[in-house]
Amino acid sequence: MSFEDDLRSALRREPAPEGFAARVLANANAGPGKVIPFWRRPTTFALAAALAMAAVIPAGVSQYRERQRGIEARDQLVQALAFTRVQLQQARGRVQHVSETVAQNAIRRKL
Amino acid sequence: MKMVLILLAGALAAFGQQGFDFKVLDKLGANATESANITLDGNTLKLATAFLGDKDVKGIVANLKGVYIRSYEFAKSGQYKEADLTPLRDYVKSRQWSKIVDVKEADETSEIYLLPISGDQIGGLVIISAEPKEVSIVFIEGTLRTSDIAKLGGNLGIPEIDLPREGRKPGKKE
Repeated sequence: MSFEDDLRSALRREPAPEGFAARVLANANAGPGKVIPFWRRPTTFALAAALAMAAVIPAGVSQYRERQRGIEARDQLVQALAFTRVQLQQARGRVQHVSETVAQNAIRRKL
Repeated sequence: MKMVLILLAGALAAFGQQGFDFKVLDKLGANATESANITLDGNTLKLATAFLGDKDVKGIVANLKGVYIRSYEFAKSGQYKEADLTPLRDYVKSRQWSKIVDVKEADETSEIYLLPISGDQIGGLVIISAEPKEVSIVFIEGTLRTSDIAKLGGNLGIPEIDLPREGRKPGKKE
């Protein structure tokens, strides 16, 4: 066989399979395929989950930071109150000491 | 002209209401080897109170507007000027705080000032304690009962805590 015969054989007309036209017409009349609603698509779920995470994570981080700030402030307040106590006790001690000294000096002078 | 006078009076009144500016005490600690500064304003105090467990302490702190601590330690005596405490003394005098304790013992002094409001209530507490190598200031603003001062001087569930001090080289300014 020559090349021309091969080409002719490959390009020859062949009839459509039996019932092909009927199947094409039936599909055309059936309309578009089954459509998944927007809210049930996996991409919608993924997007919703991402948005929820984006909203929840910063709120959680902010809450955590606020708590840390509160604990730090509480610790500083306790330190400040403890220091105040020391200063008050020191002042009281000085007052007592000076009062005792003054009293002793007065007694000595009288004796 | 009247408007200017009214505005001026308003500005003076507002200035009069301002609290003590602790920056003026910075000079006091210029040569300190160690220092401790605590500044708790009204909002920070509210936040701190929410995390307090002790009800007595909560009760005392509830009406406070500010708690300020300045404490400086020096390597040698004579490294701070007594005059650096004058702005604070002038402030309490000008606001008619009552000096309830003024003890001078050798070269150590303790002063306690209260701001009387009414009955057993006071508007604040200031403690100035000066030694040759140490000077400490406690400034508490806000409503307290006189009994709270006694409680503060006692244990009140407050643990023994040393102030965290920042060490600094002598002469180095903040």
